[in-house]
Amino acid sequence: MKLYLALILLLPLLGGVVNAVIGRKLPRRLSETLACGVVGGAFVCALLAFSAYRAPVKVELCSWLAAFDFKAPISLYLDPLSLVMMLMITFVCGLIHLYSVAYMADDPDYARFFALLNLFVFAMLTLVLAENLPLLYLGWEGVGFCSYALIGFWYREEKNATAGRKAFIVTRVGDTAFGIAIVWMFQLFNTVSITELNGMGFLMPAGVITGLGLLLLVSAMGKSAQMPLMVWLPDAMAGPTPVSALIHAATMVTAGVYLLARMLPLVGGSVAALAVIALTGGVTAFYAATCALAQRDLKRILAYSTISQIGYMMLGVGAGAITAATFHLLIHAFFKALLFLGAGCIITAMHHEQDIFRMGGLRKSIPLTFWPFLAGALCLAGLPLTGGFFSKDAILMAVWLKGGPLYSGLYGLGLFTALLTAIYTFRMVYLVFGGGHSSEPLPTETPLHHQGGGSLRVPRLMEWILLPLALLGLFGGVLNLPAWLGEGWLGRFLVTQAGIKETGALHALELALQGVAAVIALLGVAIAHLRYGGARRRERLAAAETPPTGLTAFCLHGWYFDALYRFLFIRPFEALARILWERFDEGVIDDSLDRFAFVLGRTGQGLGSWTTGRVSAYILSFAAGAALILGYLAWVVL
Amino acid sequence: MIVPLLHVLILAGILFVLGLVCVLVWRSNIIMMLIGIEVMLNAAMLAFVGGANRWGMADGQVFALMIMAMTSAEVSLALALVVYLHRRKRTVNTDEFSEMKG
Repeated sequence: MKLYLALILLLPLLGGVVNAVIGRKLPRRLSETLACGVVGGAFVCALLAFSAYRAPVKVELCSWLAAFDFKAPISLYLDPLSLVMMLMITFVCGLIHLYSVAYMADDPDYARFFALLNLFVFAMLTLVLAENLPLLYLGWEGVGFCSYALIGFWYREEKNATAGRKAFIVTRVGDTAFGIAIVWMFQLFNTVSITELNGMGFLMPAGVITGLGLLLLVSAMGKSAQMPLMVWLPDAMAGPTPVSALIHAATMVTAGVYLLARMLPLVGGSVAALAVIALTGGVTAFYAATCALAQRDLKRILAYSTISQIGYMMLGVGAGAITAATFHLLIHAFFKALLFLGAGCIITAMHHEQDIFRMGGLRKSIPLTFWPFLAGALCLAGLPLTGGFFSKDAILMAVWLKGGPLYSGLYGLGLFTALLTAIYTFRMVYLVFGGGHSSEPLPTETPLHHQGGGSLRVPRLMEWILLPLALLGLFGGVLNLPAWLGEGWLGRFLVTQAGIKETGALHALELALQGVAAVIALLGVAIAHLRYGGARRRERLAAAETPPTGLTAFCLHGWYFDALYRFLFIRPFEALARILWERFDEGVIDDSLDRFAFVLGRTGQGLGSWTTGRVSAYILSFAAGAALILGYLAWVVL
Repeated sequence: MIVPLLHVLILAGILFVLGLVCVLVWRSNIIMMLIGIEVMLNAAMLAFVGGANRWGMADGQVFALMIMAMTSAEVSLALALVVYLHRRKRTVNTDEFSEMKG
């Protein structure tokens, strides 16, 4: 087991380091094979570890930080939660690495790309497997760095570099809270081991636990793009599409949910903290769904849907249902990676056109992309019997079972969000794939590129990758079937996890709730069909020509949160920076130094005029000085 | 005939002042300044010898010999410098050499 776990971590690190150091000198094929091979190897090791897994195991690889009482060795902890996360990460990452080979085929900077991708896998696995919080923090920052570097991968464009910086800075707010939480926990419990911390929650008063829970929630908000730190994720779509699929949909953004699920035995001691987590999740889910309704950019729709789905997971964690949250996390990773990779195929086929109102008729021209994408959309919309349906419903049911006015309200909000989800998903599907082929040439493209359906080409490899993800998304429900269909494997597997208290529901209630969810999802699809299907499509396209107004613009700009933050934080910060720069730095520090230098210079010049350059003058003053000294001595002696 | 020390010192003082005035005044010619320096050194030497005579000790005479040796070295070096300076600016006026003026 120790060997497997060490290999799982070291293989991606090796790939990353080799690609970073000598990747440019290697032939392209070798670099790509190496990058994919190490992640594949990690997946094989993960499978082996899974088959050898019997009970939670703690493996200490070596010591890392040790000073007085503070000990943070590089030790890994494998329990059901980290095991399923590890399997999911290595599997999805492996597929996306393969996909990247085709997607980045024309990019000259392949070595940097694959090095960062491999390093990301390493950091993410460190995050998931870490046994103590400092090591988890190492992985946490590692994924943050890789995310920053990959969002700004095409850094020559100002927009991309800015998006990378924005992501880095916004997530930093959360990371700071996480750092404070770690130090505070060490101060309280004198340990940073996750397993030990989870068993010690009862030692502290509820207020302290609430404080810790809120700090952890803020860190999760940053990483998982929850309200109010969600503004970075839509902009993060500036990166290459495989990166969006890998980091900003499937793995990294779920790290916050993972952290809260990990620390739930500790955090769960506080009802208030759980309520705030659930509230954050529910409101974020609703917020992002409304924003996704109005977006025009294909990737931004998916980005908002990611925020929304992670909001569901947060809601699940807030309801204390780790199994449901983890279930949704896994299924979401599959179908959201699928949707993003499908979007990558579409964007490639459309020659980097991302506006869904300029697409259309792609169902005929790229059918191999259409069917998997449709499967992903079905999962996202939560249509009955797909994986997404079961996982989302598990969360909603857990919220319903919690009872009380807050959770009932959140249940209602969650249901309404599910309706919105179905609408925006199928709005996207209808606009992209439906209708006839858009006959008018696209304004941004030269006619040379776009002549009928024949020119729409997607590399075969990219489309093949979609299939396993589509199957997993569609049939992922069998991982954790609801109780009336048999026992859920994931729930049984995760039940050994500390802190899980599954509350069984009556089968009839469960069926009723799922029926409601199914009706809601179908209703959403029907609304989308009425608005965007068939003949109505042309009206919408015509309407989209005019600039959006009112509610649409409000949603399109993400409720103007960017403008709000610009007004609340960036403007005052810039004003403060300007004052410090112009008044303080230039006005006080620089100016005083300048004046000092000026006075010194003047003095020097004044003294310098004494040097006449005439030897006789020097000798005269020398003689006069000597005479003075002699006179003084004579005065003293006589 | 024994010359009293006071007379020797007065003569040395006069010689020294003459040399100093020569250096201060004759700055248009560096060679004259060197001669002035020589005169001052000789005045110092005379004072040493007078002292040696007065107290009957050889130290002053030894110092006089040392000053002679040093002076010869100094003069040879200084004259070489004079030749070099003259080659650079075709003059021996010290006021012309004021590049290091502040």
